[in-house]
Amino acid sequence: MARDLEVALAVARKDALAELRGRHATGTTIFFAAIVLLLFGFALGPDARRLEEAAPGLMWLAIVFAGLLAVGRLHETETEDDALEQLALFPVARHALYLGKALAGFAAMLVLGVALLPLVALLYRVDLLAAWLPLGLTLVLGTAGFAAVATAYAALTMRMQAREVLLPLLVLPVVAPLLLAAVKATTAALAGDPFGELASWLQLLAGFDVLMVIAGAVTYRFGLED
Amino acid sequence: MPSTTIYLAPPRRALEAPPAVATGDLARLFGRGAALVDVSIEIEAGRCIALTGPNGAGKTTLLRVLATILRPTYGIARVDGIDVAAEPHLVRERVAFLSHATGLYADLTAAENLAFAATMLGLSQAEGRDRVPEVLDAVGLRAAAGARVGTFSAGMRRRLALARTILGRPSLVLLDEPHAALDPDGMALVDRLLAGWREVGVTTLVASHQLQRIAAVADGSVALAGGIVTEVTGDGVVDRSATRNRARFPEPSPTLQGAVAP
Repeated sequence: MARDLEVALAVARKDALAELRGRHATGTTIFFAAIVLLLFGFALGPDARRLEEAAPGLMWLAIVFAGLLAVGRLHETETEDDALEQLALFPVARHALYLGKALAGFAAMLVLGVALLPLVALLYRVDLLAAWLPLGLTLVLGTAGFAAVATAYAALTMRMQAREVLLPLLVLPVVAPLLLAAVKATTAALAGDPFGELASWLQLLAGFDVLMVIAGAVTYRFGLED
Repeated sequence: MPSTTIYLAPPRRALEAPPAVATGDLARLFGRGAALVDVSIEIEAGRCIALTGPNGAGKTTLLRVLATILRPTYGIARVDGIDVAAEPHLVRERVAFLSHATGLYADLTAAENLAFAATMLGLSQAEGRDRVPEVLDAVGLRAAAGARVGTFSAGMRRRLALARTILGRPSLVLLDEPHAALDPDGMALVDRLLAGWREVGVTTLVASHQLQRIAAVADGSVALAGGIVTEVTGDGVVDRSATRNRARFPEPSPTLQGAVAP
């Protein structure tokens, strides 16, 4: 267990270091997500009420789209110079490798989410500060679940030619419940939780996260081995 | 020549230990094509064995099966008596593999790449701190320890990948064209490493087209052609399927015969 944790942290640290130097996962994806948010804003028009109502859904869509790119890029660093093969040759548990990659993906998505929040507040005229705690919790649980799913599928698709197309096709249907729960939790948090439903949505997110981490840890080896 | 203290001692072997490498009727198919057919060889522990043959002979496939990257389609392959298909995690603890690709991270420095590998190989933090500069020194990259691998030439990357193979405690080192992309000094380094591994009792299996170079250090050789073992020469290696395959494949292929001590 301690060894698995050591391996997972080493993988996450390695990815974080490479990311800080190369900005592969966050650099361009933050701008991509910002442009998506901006375009959604243009598409909805200047109606302030409409923008405010749509803000949670649009924010999560931007995070999901940009997150797909970010997790895909994190795995692409493993396919350059076939580092993935070397990674698979180390005498370490596959679930530890998964946890490390998922942790790195989660960190990249969290940075992405935090960077997008001020933009959401500005473009959609939403007061995020009033509900910062439940919003933060939703962001953490939502991005963790998404990173858990995307990491598992990124491993399965990373040796495939059409991986850029396949990854969204595989991930998006699976994260649909997560997207729904995250949008509902964000809506409830921004409205001050008038119907007391926030806790239920957060519980659903947490349950989804646990299930997806277990499933990813069990299946990750199929992406690494022959 | 790097001092043999640069190598960590491989795991101890019992007196009646099984061969370092043993394959029985090993076959690997890719679709309908066979990359390996009925390969049945045994390699003694502590030997340096050359793997020769033309392009597409099956050398890389054999190394990749032994490294647990590919599963055998038929037959069996064992490292130190451990089945590579049944218990790959145990085999990985014993094997170091240098493939055509170096498997390095371009955004990390040479020292960071090795420090990461040290952790993954199970070395303690203190061990890793000591070993990384040592092995960088052994491959002539001490001065480039803090440089990002993305700025390295192909030869420097190759040297760094070689450094990774001496970082842990392998009992079997598999090298696929280790001389590729190296300058004369780098090629001499590979020869010295091979001699050093033999000195400390580590088995090495080297696929190479540099027949003259490899002949100087190898105990024996296995020649492959079309996925079949066509000839085995020298000491430390036995072909269990020799008669059958020679009858099937009578043409001689490039081997080290004459260059390797009988």
